[in-house]
Amino acid sequence: MSAIFVASGANGEPWWIALIKALIVINLVLFGFAYLTLAERKVMGRMQVRYGPNRVGPFGLLQPIADLVKLIRKEAFAPASANDVLYIMGPFLAAFTAMTTFSVIPWGPGWEIGGYQVNGYVADLPIALILVFAVGSLGVYGFIIGGWASDSKFALLGSMRTCAQLVSYEVSLALSVLGVVIMAKSLSLVDIVGAQDADVWYVIPQIVGFVVFILAGTAETARAPFDLPEAEQELVAGYHTEYGGMRFGLYSMSEYINLITLSGLAVTLFLGGWHGPVVPGPVWFLIKLAAILFMFIWIRTTLPRLRYDQLMRFGWKVLLPVATVNAVVTALLVVAL
Amino acid sequence: MGNFLVWAIWLVAAGACLATGLRVVTASNPFSSALSLIGNLASLAVLFLLASGEFVAAAQVLVYAGAVMVMFLFVIAYLGGRADAPWAGGTRLIQTASVISAVSLLAVVFVALMLNAGGRLSDEAEVTRAFGSPGEMGRLFLTDHLLAFEITSIVLLVAAVGGVVLGMRSAAEELADAKPSLQQTVASPEEAAR
Repeated sequence: MSAIFVASGANGEPWWIALIKALIVINLVLFGFAYLTLAERKVMGRMQVRYGPNRVGPFGLLQPIADLVKLIRKEAFAPASANDVLYIMGPFLAAFTAMTTFSVIPWGPGWEIGGYQVNGYVADLPIALILVFAVGSLGVYGFIIGGWASDSKFALLGSMRTCAQLVSYEVSLALSVLGVVIMAKSLSLVDIVGAQDADVWYVIPQIVGFVVFILAGTAETARAPFDLPEAEQELVAGYHTEYGGMRFGLYSMSEYINLITLSGLAVTLFLGGWHGPVVPGPVWFLIKLAAILFMFIWIRTTLPRLRYDQLMRFGWKVLLPVATVNAVVTALLVVAL
Repeated sequence: MGNFLVWAIWLVAAGACLATGLRVVTASNPFSSALSLIGNLASLAVLFLLASGEFVAAAQVLVYAGAVMVMFLFVIAYLGGRADAPWAGGTRLIQTASVISAVSLLAVVFVALMLNAGGRLSDEAEVTRAFGSPGEMGRLFLTDHLLAFEITSIVLLVAAVGGVVLGMRSAAEELADAKPSLQQTVASPEEAAR
């Protein structure tokens, strides 16, 4: 039988525990998404010297629930000339690929509960990192299909822009983590976290890779200053112009979950994963995750949007060469030392 | 149980592979053709997974289904992607010729497979843990298949240079393109005076 099926049920863990963990992790990620939107609005509010949402519940804590109820209760309309099957498939594809990826990110050392082995990850694949990028590259189709199937000029132009930007920065993103892979000599995220515990956090030797990863990641999740796919002045709302209600909600959700996954990946690859003193592993993972997410929100409130030609020039002429040189130099040093 | 699961997944993946493959050539809308090709590549990746080639499967999804097909969709979406596209259909002669060539290609593949591995197809292969892993693939690329690997890289380089050359517009062409508008701006006041 294929090694990939063995790997997912390995290390003495019964398969149904992995299933329960998958359910819990997906729900935690969804919960994280809901409160990330609130945190973003609150933090942005404070940085712009205003309060942010504070009406629904104490400190506005029920705002995401109110937003969800509003989105679900809206009419699910579609443009008359839209391609129905693809129009509905778009948001689902985007949300599905976004939620799948988090399964390979490790968040704890593993425990023994009631005589059963419980690992600190949903799945440990020997090719986890490639899987993350492969699923991420499929996620682009959710945006393209949605934009094309809407049969609207703004949506089509928005999806073309999203697609061009995501494809351009995916290359830099993949090259920026190559240094980490070369140092850890593994593509498994569990192994990479273990190697950082034995060695140092890779943010120190791979600082160039980390900076490129964060910049390319900001572009990959289409956040300011790289939020051109949603430049309101030029494109109305980008690829989801013709979407409303919970279909729009799914697109919005997939964008935020992609951001959470990307931050989780940054923590895993560069910041030692769940390792840390005193408090248990998952807590450390959450602290580091929150720090990275805060940084993304901070960047969003601080920097204005780039022009499209600046974005493309920066991606291909600055980020890509830097990432390539970083990977080559790392490879040479690892062989030499 | 495990064996049954493998068979079930194989059946679904192989069926999806054939169905999407047929849809690629029968769909009248190029956009759905391209989408079917993505589905085809994805189900092919599942077949690779069943053959223990997880790295090949992931690379297939990442490179072909992910990067290459995005370019296809990009171009089709810009060109319109409607059923009246110039490449839709073709004459009866072209249709017949393409069916005949596809069938003969299949026959060649089948015969080659049978001649080389006919006696061993039902034997179960020895699969070690390292088989299909990135490290093992890299070792094979840089030892046993080094020549093929290097030649492929040169072919890709030539293709990339060719793409740049084809896409490049010479300075003379740009000047020639710019001239008519220049003449027009000069000519229009005269026309206005007339």
